[in-house]
Amino acid sequence: MEEEQNKKKVLVVDDDDNLRRVLTDKLKASGFEVINASNGEEGLEKALAHHPDIILLDVMMPIMNGQVMLSKLREDEWGEKAKVIMLSVIEDSEVIAQAVVDRSLAYFIKTDQSMDDIVKRVKAMLED
Amino acid sequence: MSNKKSTFIGEHLIIAGASLFILLGLLYLSSLFMEDFSTDSITIFGTEFLIADIQPHIIQILFIVVSVLVSYLIYLLLSLRTRAELTAAIATRSLSNSLAHFEKLYEEAPVPYVILNEKGEIIKPNKATLRFFGVVLEEIEGKNLFSLCFEEDQEKAEKLFRYYKSNLPINSEEIRLITKKGAVKWVLLSVFGETSFNNLKKARLGVIFDITERKQLDQAKTEFVSLASHQLRTPVSTIRWYTDMLLSNSFGELSGEQKEYVETIHKVNQGMIELIDTLLNVSRIEMGSLKIDLKPTNVSDLVESVLVELSSQIEEKNINIEKNYGGNLENIESDPKLLRIVIQNLISNAVKYTQPNGTVSITLKDSFKEKAIVVTDTGVGIPEKDQEKIFTKLFRAGNVDVLSSSQGTGLGLYLVKSIMETMGGSISFVSEENKGSTFTITI
Repeated sequence: MEEEQNKKKVLVVDDDDNLRRVLTDKLKASGFEVINASNGEEGLEKALAHHPDIILLDVMMPIMNGQVMLSKLREDEWGEKAKVIMLSVIEDSEVIAQAVVDRSLAYFIKTDQSMDDIVKRVKAMLED
Repeated sequence: MSNKKSTFIGEHLIIAGASLFILLGLLYLSSLFMEDFSTDSITIFGTEFLIADIQPHIIQILFIVVSVLVSYLIYLLLSLRTRAELTAAIATRSLSNSLAHFEKLYEEAPVPYVILNEKGEIIKPNKATLRFFGVVLEEIEGKNLFSLCFEEDQEKAEKLFRYYKSNLPINSEEIRLITKKGAVKWVLLSVFGETSFNNLKKARLGVIFDITERKQLDQAKTEFVSLASHQLRTPVSTIRWYTDMLLSNSFGELSGEQKEYVETIHKVNQGMIELIDTLLNVSRIEMGSLKIDLKPTNVSDLVESVLVELSSQIEEKNINIEKNYGGNLENIESDPKLLRIVIQNLISNAVKYTQPNGTVSITLKDSFKEKAIVVTDTGVGIPEKDQEKIFTKLFRAGNVDVLSSSQGTGLGLYLVKSIMETMGGSISFVSEENKGSTFTITI
C-alpha cells in the first residue's frame, strides 16, 4: 500500500524494554514505521540492513554502547550520512562532545523530554 | 680563650691590689691620726686601755681583718668568673639538650616537615617526608619542593613558588604532589616565614599534610551521587513517558478519577526529575566539573520561559506577577543553561513561599554599572535566626511548613549560590518574616 511506503522509518535502539516499547508505541501512533534493537550490535546490523530515515540511539547499552555503534556506523558509506538523535540519561560533557564529533543531530536527556517533544524533534529532523 | 682568662684574672687582681692599697692607706692614715691623740688611754666597757699598748695590736688586728676582707674579695671575684663559666656551661648544656630534644621531635614527627633554602630547595627533610615521597635522603636533598607537584597542578605550583620567592607565607594550600613511584597525593602545603638554620640565614619551614584519603572519600561520595542520579533517570523517564501516553488518551480516554490519579503520578514524578537534576548539578559543582558555556544570553527570554514552566503553580495560587524590566538584559555574556537554573530556583521559591493572591515581582537592571536580576515576593520570609544558613546545603528555614504546599530539598539555594560564584557573579537577599523576601543576583 502506498501509505505504508510513504511512512518514514525510525530505528529505536535502547536496552531498556519499557522505554523501547513506549517509544515504539508513540512513534507508531504518530505515523512512523518502527524498528527496534536492544543493544548497539543489533542496532548497527538493523541500521545497515534497513536504512532507517532516522535513528533514536541510547548511549548506555550492553554488548556495544551507543558511542561505539555511532562511530562504527559512520564508517559505512550509507551510515556516514544517516540521521541520528542521541537519547540518553548521561550528561557527561565528554560523551556529548564525542556525539558532536560523530555528527549526531542532537543529544537529548530522556528526563527532559515528553513523548510529544520527541515526536516533534523527530519530525523536525526529518524535514531537512 | 686563655687570653681572655688571663686578662680577666689580671683585671681583677689589679682591682684587688688597688683596693688593698687604698684600705692599707686609710688604715695608716687612721693610725697616724691615732698617734696625734692627746689622751694616752681609752675606756671600753669600764676597762682602761693604754693607747701605747693597744696601738701595735690594733695594727695587727686591722692587718688580719684587711687580709681576710681582701682574700674574700679576691675569692668572690675569682669564683664569680668560675660561677659565670659554670652558669654558661649549664645553660649551654640545657640548650643542647633542648636542641637535641627538638631535633628528635622534628625528625620523628608523624607529619612531613622540610627546611627549604632561599631557592625553595629541600635541605632537611624529616623522616616522615622521606616516607611520604618514598625516597632516601640523597634522592630528595636539593630538589625544589615546588617541582615535586603533579603535572596537572603545575600552574598552582608555579604560583605558590612565586609567593615563596616573595617571602609570603603559604597557608594550607591544597595541591597534588607526586611520589617517587608516581603516586599522586593530595596535600595541604604550608610554608612559614624566614628562620635561620645552621649557616643559612634565609631558611624556611614547610609542612606537608597528607589529605589524600579525605579527598578520595569525598570524591567517592560525589561519584556515587552522580552514578545513582544517572541510574535513577531511566525508571523516572519510564514513568514520565508512560503517564504521558495515558494522559494523551492514546489507549482510550481516562475517566475523571483515572485522569487525576495519573496526573498526580506524572506531577510527583516531575518533582523527582527536578530533584535528580539538582543532585547531579550539586555533585558536578563538588567535583569541580561544572562547565560554563558562555554565550550571548537573553535574560528576559529565560525569565519568560521559567514563568511558562511555573504557570500552573502561579495560576493555582493566583499569584500576581509584576515585571519591571529596566532593560531587557539581552545579549549579555553568560551561560544560559546555568542562569536559567538560577532564575528558575528563585522564581519557584518566590511562588512556593508566597500565600495565595500574593505578588512576585521580577526586576531586570541593565545599566553600565550593574546588571542584576531581582526577585521579590510578599511571602512568609526567612526568620532572622535562619538567614545566615540559608545558602548552606540541605538547609530549610524553620517556617517552611507555614505553607502546606511547600516541598523542598534544601539544595536549591546552595546550588544557586555555587553557580553564581562559579560564573563570577553574586547573590544576596533581604528578608523579613511574614513580609517577604528579595533576592538579588548580579551577573
